[in-house]
Amino acid sequence: MSYEVVIGLEVHVELSTQSKLFCGCSAMFGADPNENVCPACSGMPGMPAVTNKKAVELGIAAGLLTNSEITRVMTFDKKNYFYPDLPTGYQITQLFAPICKNGWIDIETGSGVRRITLKQIHIEEDAGKLVHDNRCDASLIDFNRTSVPLIEIVSNPDLRTSEEVVAYLSKLRLLLSFAGISDCKMQEGSMRCDVNISVRRSGSGKLGTRTEIKNLNSFKAIARAIEYESERHIEALETGCETIIQETRRFDDGKGETFSMRGKEDATDYRYFPNPELMPVCISDEWIEAVRATLPETAQDKFTRLTKELNLPEYDAKIITGSRNLSVIFDETMQRFHNPKEIANWIIVELLSIAKGDNKGEDDIVIDEKKFATLMKLCENKTINRNVAKKILIKVFEEGVDPERYVEEHKLGMVTDTAFLENIVRDVLLENEKSVLEYKNGNQKVIGFFVGKIMNKSQGKADPKIVNELLRKLLDD
Amino acid sequence: MSYYISGCMTGKNDQTLVAIEDSIMQKGRPVTAGSKILSGFTSPLDATVISRLEAGGYAVSGKTKMREFGLLPLCEEACEASGAVRAVADGAVSFALCNDFSGVTRREAAENGICYIHPTYGCVSRYGLIPSACSMDQIGIVCRDIVEGFGLLSVIAGNDEKDGAMYPDKSYVYEPLDKKIKAFVPENVLTAAIPEDKAAVLALSSHFDGVSTELAYFDVLNKAQYILSCAEISANLSRYDGVKFGFRADRYNNLDGLYVNTRTQGFGLDAKLALIMGSMVLSKEYYTPCYEKALKLRRVIKDSLDFKSYDVILLPLRITGGAYESSAVHALAALAGLPCVSFSYNGGGVQILAAPKNENALLTVVKAVTR
Amino acid sequence: MDIKEYEAMSKIDLPESERALISEKAGMLKESFLSLASVGTNGVEALVTVLDIQNVLRPDISVKPFSRKELLENAPASHDGYFEAPKTLD
Repeated sequence: MSYEVVIGLEVHVELSTQSKLFCGCSAMFGADPNENVCPACSGMPGMPAVTNKKAVELGIAAGLLTNSEITRVMTFDKKNYFYPDLPTGYQITQLFAPICKNGWIDIETGSGVRRITLKQIHIEEDAGKLVHDNRCDASLIDFNRTSVPLIEIVSNPDLRTSEEVVAYLSKLRLLLSFAGISDCKMQEGSMRCDVNISVRRSGSGKLGTRTEIKNLNSFKAIARAIEYESERHIEALETGCETIIQETRRFDDGKGETFSMRGKEDATDYRYFPNPELMPVCISDEWIEAVRATLPETAQDKFTRLTKELNLPEYDAKIITGSRNLSVIFDETMQRFHNPKEIANWIIVELLSIAKGDNKGEDDIVIDEKKFATLMKLCENKTINRNVAKKILIKVFEEGVDPERYVEEHKLGMVTDTAFLENIVRDVLLENEKSVLEYKNGNQKVIGFFVGKIMNKSQGKADPKIVNELLRKLLDD
Repeated sequence: MSYYISGCMTGKNDQTLVAIEDSIMQKGRPVTAGSKILSGFTSPLDATVISRLEAGGYAVSGKTKMREFGLLPLCEEACEASGAVRAVADGAVSFALCNDFSGVTRREAAENGICYIHPTYGCVSRYGLIPSACSMDQIGIVCRDIVEGFGLLSVIAGNDEKDGAMYPDKSYVYEPLDKKIKAFVPENVLTAAIPEDKAAVLALSSHFDGVSTELAYFDVLNKAQYILSCAEISANLSRYDGVKFGFRADRYNNLDGLYVNTRTQGFGLDAKLALIMGSMVLSKEYYTPCYEKALKLRRVIKDSLDFKSYDVILLPLRITGGAYESSAVHALAALAGLPCVSFSYNGGGVQILAAPKNENALLTVVKAVTR
Repeated sequence: MDIKEYEAMSKIDLPESERALISEKAGMLKESFLSLASVGTNGVEALVTVLDIQNVLRPDISVKPFSRKELLENAPASHDGYFEAPKTLD
């Protein structure tokens, strides 16, 4: 008996706007509680909602990137329910005329390329945050996030495996972050995913009973939750010991299991109705084209350009175009230093490892591209050697030092005085007669040992080319 | 003074004093919309109308008592007219500002020998107005003299970027039209009028040529209005939950208890009725036959008006029936967003409606008959 | 008319003293609403607002005209910059 797992996703993405969807409060993440709040987004009466134009444009952009049909007359509706993080008692969302419909994106997994279709994209306001304070047995409410603009991307139930789900989410994140629509950081909550999952016998046309899983905080958690839940459904179908009911479940990351929530949500009648104080938004062809013209290069297009035009190896291009941040660093550095392979190396080998040591991921690296480029130039024109450059890079990353000034102040310029270096080489060879013998007996690897010693004696500044030439000359004598 | 809730300026009757119904917010002052649910709430902002009237040389005299959220009194009969009407009728102030979406204030004004101007929907900013039914709320003017009332209106009306449901016109000039006014005096409405008002309308209409065919959809106007307004009100009242501001019940066991006890104790009967009916008409079962139906009726009602054939509609202020039935005569202005003035004439109450943004036709009529 | 369902949706719980009156009015209103079925509106589009206006949009600029202190002043309960409510059940 084989089973097919059917998955649909609802992805909420916070739009990168300065202000909130329906009031002028800052939409920035990370402020102290209730600092980005006004009467409107804290539920007080008297402040009518007025729509943020940029939010609409980012919605149009998301539609263009997902090959969606953009709605020409878009409206907003009220969705009514009571919860402390919803200060007005209704969420302004889109039921009747969402901004986009019927889009698709292609994903790539081990099994090849598949097209995942989208039901719709709609714009809505985010809710606030609840902090449970055990000490005073109360809910503490922060309305900073209330009315931050979101788009909800609803897929059709086209996904079949957790691998596909991760590929879909990664693709969405690349598309949206490269276009500046959202920074899509799950750890900051700017990208959230609810999973709808059901299981049916392979070949059956009917969908099985569906459960919804919420509260998933990372791609990893999503994959694990899908694995667990699909197993749970399959076991229920096979053994009948449990009946799958349509409900919302939460994922316990520690246990790796889903568990039932109190199921009240499904019974709620949200009493949607059109919001009469928000005038319809008519989206013209001209407006759509204007938005299209502002879209930057997609990750896909960038990959093609880096490999075909700049001749970067696919491996390098994949890493760089796998993160919007790295792409930006690459592009900005390229503006000042026209050696793509060098830049790619420095980013992939050096910068990423420095960042990792500092517990930073590729999306969090901050570096002054001007100084980064300067460092590479100093290396290329042989002012400093590569080892020195690597050390200075750490300083640029951590403290933002100016490379040229740093080289001067610490006298790190490459030593090219052949006579001076020859003395050092001779000294090292004299001090290590045993190793010289090993070399004469055919052990080429000892060269590296000698180079290390010579570098030590020259504070790491010796020109490696000259050192190698001198070594060969003196050793082969 | 029994008209005011708080903050009344004593002193002699000043031409420029304006009383403000307690649905309009004034920074640093309590505001209740006539409801216990807002007790203890201090407004953090000034309504746009307040800043504009102060800039225009008027001054706020105080906040007047009002029916809870301006609702139609279906459960609790009003024993006296609203504070705004009484303050102007008694001569304590020359003007008062109110939100008369339900039509009761314009009737009370005429009954007390004064007037009411209900502007075109979308001409006066709702920023700082405690909302009842957003698609009908509009701040209007209680006044002794309609011409002076229009003077105040020209100061407060005009586009405000803080209210997205407004016409773009930055200002309005109100002056009489230089034309012969044609009036529509619907015979079916006249038949339903109480005798004094029927007589008043007939006397008034004798000044004008016009038509007297039937007003289409007259018998469903009150139903359409109540459905739409109670739905909107039910959503606008959800924010009053005892958590962020206002009244909070003393005793509750948990969050749900807080909500339920606060709202049950904080709202009056008509508010609770509106909440219940609002939930009903928006519920899955009744959305199509009630709410959607009323939205469609709104369109056919608006489309049935023909302001090319007439400039104004003359209606009685009172028709037979209880509060709900008789609200039909006020519903037209709310449903179609029409401007309206009401006043007493020849011993009865009359109201005149015009096309959106055609307050000038109303002014023309008023000047013609009060010569 | 049984209004308990709608009371729950509105988060109110009518005391017995009020329920009879409100149920009666509610029943009358409901009947009145449902009588609208006889009015023809086939093919008519809903009219949500009387204003024939579109694209009222605000530029994406952030402003801060109110301080946290001002907003929390009205809160019946607050703590450390947060609004405070009884714990939710989940």
